[in-house]
Amino acid sequence: MEEKFDVIIVGGGIAGLSAAMTLARGNAKILLIERGTFCGAKNVSGGVLWGNDLAKLVPEYWNEEGGFERFVNHRRLTFMDEQSAFSVDFKSSHFDDVPYTGVTVLRAIFDEWLAGKVQLAIEASAYPDESFLATDILVDEVLSENGKIVGIRAGEERFFADSVILAEGVNNLLTRQIGLEKEYVPVDHMAIGIKEVLRLDKAKLEDRFQLRGRSGLTNEFVGFCSDGVEGGGFLYTNRDSISLGLVLGLKDLKQSGKTPYDILNTFKAHPSVADMIYGSETVEYSAHAVSTGDIRSLPSELYADGVLIAGEAAHLLLNAGKAIQGMDFAMRSGILAGETVLEAKKANDFSSEMLKNYRLALENSYVLKDMRTFQDAVHLLHQPEMFGPIPNMICDFGRQFFSISGEPTPKASKMMHAAIKRNASYWDLVKLGIKGARAL
Amino acid sequence: MSDMKKKGELSVSERLGMVSFRNQGRTDSKAHIEVDTSICNSVCTHKCTTRLCPAKCFTLDDAGLVHFQYEDCIECGTCMYACDQGAVTWNYPHPEEGKGVNWTLG
Repeated sequence: MEEKFDVIIVGGGIAGLSAAMTLARGNAKILLIERGTFCGAKNVSGGVLWGNDLAKLVPEYWNEEGGFERFVNHRRLTFMDEQSAFSVDFKSSHFDDVPYTGVTVLRAIFDEWLAGKVQLAIEASAYPDESFLATDILVDEVLSENGKIVGIRAGEERFFADSVILAEGVNNLLTRQIGLEKEYVPVDHMAIGIKEVLRLDKAKLEDRFQLRGRSGLTNEFVGFCSDGVEGGGFLYTNRDSISLGLVLGLKDLKQSGKTPYDILNTFKAHPSVADMIYGSETVEYSAHAVSTGDIRSLPSELYADGVLIAGEAAHLLLNAGKAIQGMDFAMRSGILAGETVLEAKKANDFSSEMLKNYRLALENSYVLKDMRTFQDAVHLLHQPEMFGPIPNMICDFGRQFFSISGEPTPKASKMMHAAIKRNASYWDLVKLGIKGARAL
Repeated sequence: MSDMKKKGELSVSERLGMVSFRNQGRTDSKAHIEVDTSICNSVCTHKCTTRLCPAKCFTLDDAGLVHFQYEDCIECGTCMYACDQGAVTWNYPHPEEGKGVNWTLG
């Protein structure tokens, strides 16, 4: 590999592979370096891949046996108190149509599949023997010359390229090394994701969750599931397993004195969750630091001379209450980084002035547009009322509304009033309501 | 209390038993995370990594001192963000000489 590459991509996750696919199709000479034994070996997500960029990378991916687990046509948001679950549930056969609105994935499986597709694109490109997906290699250092990034060092070996795309994930050591991210990033806008994958007989799973063929359910939870800590829970159906986990704000968790694994046990023991996972067996336990989607957590810049930052290394993530979007942002940012490098190659200009187009493209895409539009929603979701008083109040109301006691039944408005009095104040609700109306 | 396990609950060690680690048999592996526990045990007042690490790589002994081992690390990165005392130096594990995870599902 003596020759210089057009681009070196660090990281074979969704951002890196999406960039690689775009670049291979554009006939660039690429080297993608992944430190795991295969692409996906180091990757963890919740995880739902939202949106339809996948169809751009792998046309008609829905006809493939491999890749994703299930497509999402059933969504549920559940408010929890200690014993109750009050859900907003939406299922639609509109969501059966391709391209799907979202698919559940297990990353060690999905990323490896996507890497296989990238390999095919490389073989069909102008450089089938000079472009590489190299696994099991650790990048130690990003190399620069006169302020421009020119390549990378892995052990004793140096590889050079006109540009480098850093898609190294949330623990963005190389992004820090080149100074686009601070040496130390505090917990303020960070969370921990913690997950178990629970195996359940496929027929049982499909019966229990009313799945047919490859359809799937996503269920997010707020309230008791996080034991008073900022955050929420999730349950996603895979082919023959369930992904069950929590995303917990690190700052709040740190102050709470609680541990993520104890909270996960609490969540699993909730009666409504226990009923859903009954008879299943945990087969993998994982965790992953996650950005909370606060725009202030973005690196100081997403490009410099000869280098671009994509995916979670750039802290591109959004949870505005209706979905946790990270993988789709990784995919789009990878595609845009790839397209920017192709333009730069055409102009033979890899300066920051040229690579700035990546930032502009991101700003003009739904990624940064949505992150900016829904910042208030992100902040609203971090209000302490969201993790205790509000879910408790909703469940309190539900318990009154749905119980028949043999006593004269008050009107629903009275029940609501009682629920509010017991769990929150009208003033808090008005404040939250105003914030919510503005945010969403 | 995480040590007092209720029936049916999984402990961290049971959970880690399901994780596939690299170079599992290797006894001379290189640490990818270095923790200066003298900082944890002198100036740090919260010792938060002993609670936040999902793999319990940071533990407190009976005397209240912090100990660290990297072998069970699942590379989540939480300690790198959580430690505000400069005690944690985080690196990616070396493919051959280090430990680290090898997810089968992810």
